[in-house]
Amino acid sequence: MKEIDARGLACPAPVLQTKATLQEENPQSVRIVVDNAASQQNVQRFLESQGFQTTLEQNGDDYLVIGTCVSEPKEQPRLSTEQQSDVKKIMVVCATDRMGFGDDELGLKLMINFLRTLKEMGNELWRLVFVNNGVKLTIDGSKVLDDLKDFENKGLKILVCGTCLTHFGLLEAKKVGETTNMLDIVTAMQLADKVISI
Amino acid sequence: MVFPTNENVIVGLDRADDAGVYKISDDLALIQTVDFFTPIVDDPYWFGQIAAANALSDVYAMGGIPKTAMNLVAFPVKQMELAVLRQIIQGGIDKLAEAGVVLIGGHSIEDKELKYGLSVTGFVHPARVLTKRNLQPGDRLVLTKPLGTGIVNTAIKAGMASADLTGKVTHLMAALNRDAAGIMSNFNVSACTDVTGFGLLGHLAEMVCGSGMSVRVFSKQVPVIAEALEFAAMGLIPAGAYKNREFRESMIDFAEMVERSRQDVLFDPQTSGGLLISVNGHQAGELVAALKDAGIGDAAQIGEILSGPAEKIWVV
Repeated sequence: MKEIDARGLACPAPVLQTKATLQEENPQSVRIVVDNAASQQNVQRFLESQGFQTTLEQNGDDYLVIGTCVSEPKEQPRLSTEQQSDVKKIMVVCATDRMGFGDDELGLKLMINFLRTLKEMGNELWRLVFVNNGVKLTIDGSKVLDDLKDFENKGLKILVCGTCLTHFGLLEAKKVGETTNMLDIVTAMQLADKVISI
Repeated sequence: MVFPTNENVIVGLDRADDAGVYKISDDLALIQTVDFFTPIVDDPYWFGQIAAANALSDVYAMGGIPKTAMNLVAFPVKQMELAVLRQIIQGGIDKLAEAGVVLIGGHSIEDKELKYGLSVTGFVHPARVLTKRNLQPGDRLVLTKPLGTGIVNTAIKAGMASADLTGKVTHLMAALNRDAAGIMSNFNVSACTDVTGFGLLGHLAEMVCGSGMSVRVFSKQVPVIAEALEFAAMGLIPAGAYKNREFRESMIDFAEMVERSRQDVLFDPQTSGGLLISVNGHQAGELVAALKDAGIGDAAQIGEILSGPAEKIWVV
């Protein structure tokens, strides 16, 4: 393993020293010591941009970055693992708190049942979005609040329309999910493999 | 610490803003500010221009018009030729002339490290003072210069920025906020500051603190120097950006899709950055159009003010 001591150097010097070493010696693994957290993160990010896998350690006043070459350097910053994975991304948009038209009481029951059954989609369920009357499912007193919290705890991203919450005066009452905007929703639609609208 | 004050102080140290404001009469208030720093570009003439644009900016951000300025100089007279200092001061004078401001004095000392800046005095109507502290729900945020000068300057130090990019960023830092401020005065603006060392999110955090309001920032709409995103992904990030993040992290929520490099640019310390304007939501489109018409092509709507919860910044 190639060792680089970049202690006592200010940004961007530790990155430059690492860059020079990679160019001159083309090592398979490197261990860089710096003396502050900012330099540590900068060196980590440089190594990752060059196709290295990294781990960070702290040892007293020393901050370490250990890197192992795993691929050729990429021109563009690498995509996050989520974007690279083969798992389908399904986005479900709920624009109402009732499922279907006809009887409202039945519609509410169906909606509750729908949201509870949604977990059968497994890890392909990628985003759950609430807009218009749908935001009322995310507030205090909602019958599915615990189910939604359960989803969120398991890592599902729940987006709740901020304009809608404001419109209904429910900004404070919302108890689950992230307040979002149309740009975020549209971007998520673009990234999703499938969008299901209720 | 207790700072003595009196009834004529409109903006004082108790509520740190871009500049101090003191009421002289019912229709006239004095704005005073001072700012100096070590060289941020190699060319002394351009360093002088940038230092002057940066010092003047605080007066513009308060809604005022700068009138006079004084030089502050620390110079290593034994190590450096006086010609360098002459060029710096010439840069400052030329930038002041562009702003219609006269240099009427100054002070210099000998120092190991070169430093230059100015103290600037301006005027404003007491009722037209703009501070950081008056956000209104429904306002839109407008930014007038792209972010990323700190990261690009780090890349320049690393010898990794092209000459073209170096020139572009130098001009950007030397550009006055005068025209943006002039246009802003025709609109219903509730708060304003200029983006400098704390980065966009740091300065936004100052505006939000104590307001009881929250802000949503549309990160994709924030103007950035494109190369800054690439340099950030390579770890060419100034230590200040990490400090800015650490200091304000607890107030800020990033949506998952805001990639790390863009987050870094939002925390990047700026030199002589643009104005960050909180304008009535119905007028935001018109304000941006007017800024663009005046040649401020990077101006953009970047966010909105929400009535609550208090002191939260959402970046989506």
